[in-house]
Amino acid sequence: MKLVFNYLIFPGFLFSAVVGLISGWFDRKLTARIQWRRGPVWYQNFLDLIKLFSKEIIIPTEAKFTFFISPFVGVCASVIVATMLGRVLVNPSESFIGDLIVLVYLLVIPAIAFILGASSSGNPLASVGASREMKLILGYELPFILSILTIIIKTGSIKLEAILNHQIVYGSHIASFSGIVAFLVAFLCAQAKLGFVPFDISEAEQEIMAGTLIEYSGPLLALFKLTKAILLYIMPIFLIVLFIGKDTSLKFLFLKYIGLITLIILLKNTNPRLKIEQAIKFFWGPVSFLAAVSVILALLGW
Amino acid sequence: MLFNFYPLFKLDRLSSFISLFIGLFSLLTIIYSFKFMQGRKNLWQYYILVILTFVSSVGVVLANHLILLLVFWGFLGLLLYLLINIEENSSLTAKKTFIIVGGSDCLMLLGIGIIYYLTGTFQMDKIKISFTTSYWLLTNISYLCLAAASFAKAGAMPLHSWIPDCAKDAPLPVVAYLPASLDKLLGIYLLARVSLDLFIMNKIMNLFLMLIGAFTILAAVMMALVQHNAKRLLGYHAVSQVGYMVLGIGTGSSLGIAGGLFHMVNHAIYKSCLFLTSGNVEYKTKTTDLDKLGGLSKVMPITYISCLVASLSISGVPPFNGFVSKWLVYQGLIEAVGSSQIVYKIIVFLCLVAAMFGSALTLASFMKLIHSTFLGQANNSIAEKGYNDVSWQMLLPCLVLAIICVIFGIFASQVPLKYFIFPVVGTYTFLGIWSSGLATFLIVLGLFLGIIIFGLSKISLRKDAIFLGSETKALPSTRVSGTEFYNTIKELDILKTIYLKAEKGFFDIYEQGKTLIFGIGKFFQFLHNGILPTYLVWCLLGIVGLFLIFH
Repeated sequence: MKLVFNYLIFPGFLFSAVVGLISGWFDRKLTARIQWRRGPVWYQNFLDLIKLFSKEIIIPTEAKFTFFISPFVGVCASVIVATMLGRVLVNPSESFIGDLIVLVYLLVIPAIAFILGASSSGNPLASVGASREMKLILGYELPFILSILTIIIKTGSIKLEAILNHQIVYGSHIASFSGIVAFLVAFLCAQAKLGFVPFDISEAEQEIMAGTLIEYSGPLLALFKLTKAILLYIMPIFLIVLFIGKDTSLKFLFLKYIGLITLIILLKNTNPRLKIEQAIKFFWGPVSFLAAVSVILALLGW
Repeated sequence: MLFNFYPLFKLDRLSSFISLFIGLFSLLTIIYSFKFMQGRKNLWQYYILVILTFVSSVGVVLANHLILLLVFWGFLGLLLYLLINIEENSSLTAKKTFIIVGGSDCLMLLGIGIIYYLTGTFQMDKIKISFTTSYWLLTNISYLCLAAASFAKAGAMPLHSWIPDCAKDAPLPVVAYLPASLDKLLGIYLLARVSLDLFIMNKIMNLFLMLIGAFTILAAVMMALVQHNAKRLLGYHAVSQVGYMVLGIGTGSSLGIAGGLFHMVNHAIYKSCLFLTSGNVEYKTKTTDLDKLGGLSKVMPITYISCLVASLSISGVPPFNGFVSKWLVYQGLIEAVGSSQIVYKIIVFLCLVAAMFGSALTLASFMKLIHSTFLGQANNSIAEKGYNDVSWQMLLPCLVLAIICVIFGIFASQVPLKYFIFPVVGTYTFLGIWSSGLATFLIVLGLFLGIIIFGLSKISLRKDAIFLGSETKALPSTRVSGTEFYNTIKELDILKTIYLKAEKGFFDIYEQGKTLIFGIGKFFQFLHNGILPTYLVWCLLGIVGLFLIFH
């Protein structure tokens, strides 16, 4: 029963969705201020969702049943990840469901949901979006794995609670040479995982009209928006658990979270969109090199 | 009963669970063939060959005498040749397969001879050779010979090149039966038997296995990414996944070995499922060319679901079975790091990265397969014909295999690991945690609640054409086929040259060997020009040579 509570209310679905939506507002507000606009009220994202949930759904004639299932799968998988991360932060002495490798694999599921949903719609633009999303995954997965291996080398364990406890005892991973390089890499990968500029290639509104999401409307679109919101909550928390987990008291957690989100939003607002081959070259070239450097530094014990 | 045959045959835990799966795959293949092979000539021949394959595979697994093992092994190579030949126009592929597999049989004979020389016995449960004896060179050669035989059978690089060709040309049930499932079981069985029982592994041999495994994973999956034919794509994946098994056994830690063996079983399950589903597609549409397919999921829903489950399994998406075995292999690698020098550590980490990244590449190429076969825009010529799904004889094996994928994934530690893998490698503690049952329960609960709320809230649905800006209808010219998905990757600088070389067969050991042998042949052709004076000159030179030697 406690598990179901964890999964549905705190730190699972309800909590992560609310925090994610408020973070989404923070994103919109900050973007607006950067562009010298006023920005929306804090509950704007909730209103948007409620509006979407009350609309009708338009189904393309060629849609297949995975078109319906994918949004649900996306939400469920991201909620599982949110629950895992939340539980380890609340209580760093017990583990829940999976370890770091499981987490990395679970984080791919929302992207798979986007791809399958888009492919099922039968729209050529959605297919283009799906192919770009998959190529982007290929791009960032290599440095992402490397930066996570850095943490595994430094901690000597793949359990989340061991990683957190190691930092509580020996200080945050970011405070070492290998740690800070790996953090940089993971941060860039997080930006790509969130699908934010400069890596919003699969959705490129001006170019392929929201790509993967083009055929989605009403509640199904709302579910995908919710997935994105939960991801916006997950990725900074994930970085905190892996790299800056020394102090997990509520105040510091909040400060770190706000700091990371601000960084992500600033990066988003100061860059143009890349082309997909540029993104792949960027991730397989300089970023993977940095990540390899961090692995070697970690193997040397720095 | 079986005990009477003891010195020749032996049933232990490893061989018993592998024979069980050999039986399962034989049964499913025969059921599938009833419909698929219907109406062909010489069907009695086909079924006899399938049953003989079954019998000799069980023979290989149960044999406790090296010569007996070799006889069954060679017999399997011959059967594979005959089975591929059942399809018309496949004799070249059959020849290639026979040469590679048969050639590795010769190596195996050499290896067995050396083992007999070293130990004086053929009885497998009495042999235990260490690499540190004074005969280290002979030991190494014999181990490498046996490993090469298992690589050729299972399809690890560099002896893999018969599998993609065979996947494309051979009759489909044969592909699903032999290269996809049975040959993996047997090849990895031999590798496990040799590495775990016959020899005491040392670090260098472990490193060798790991490097072969990691290289196989990456190289084969990169080739799979750019294929245009569904069966060839699957064939390259049949090569790539062998890498995980070899890698797992190469780690030398019991976690890794468990992962390797479990991956072998899992691979046999989902890969034969994938081949069978592509057989369903071929049966209906008469093609497996990905450019010509598309949008089939509406007309073949059950095939689509089985294929989707198997694809997610092979890509290592939790909670399916492929994830569990990959997860075990990764843990084995992480455990193998813990020990020694920095060079060893770096190589093991390279292998780990290759394995984890290979799984992302696998996902990519299966998204392409799913998109271009079942999803995406339907090809007009296919859409007009109005197909329906195939008959139950062909759906049943696919569904059974897909269900096993799910069960082995969700109840991994309750069913397959407990009954099949643990007894072989002994119990151990995991480095990480993965409660797949709980995770699946939560995901299913979420889906269930979501769909209930969705159903109760009476949202209105409306069907409409897809939105393409000003167009109201998707034109055939705007159709995006999955085969174009990864063209940008194919065009990247370094990869481009490698792909070009690979398409010309530069990395194919068979093609290279062919050039070499034909080159030698040309030299002799040049000598034998049929002109008498030339032969006389050769005779004279020979006599002079003999004089000089025996002077």
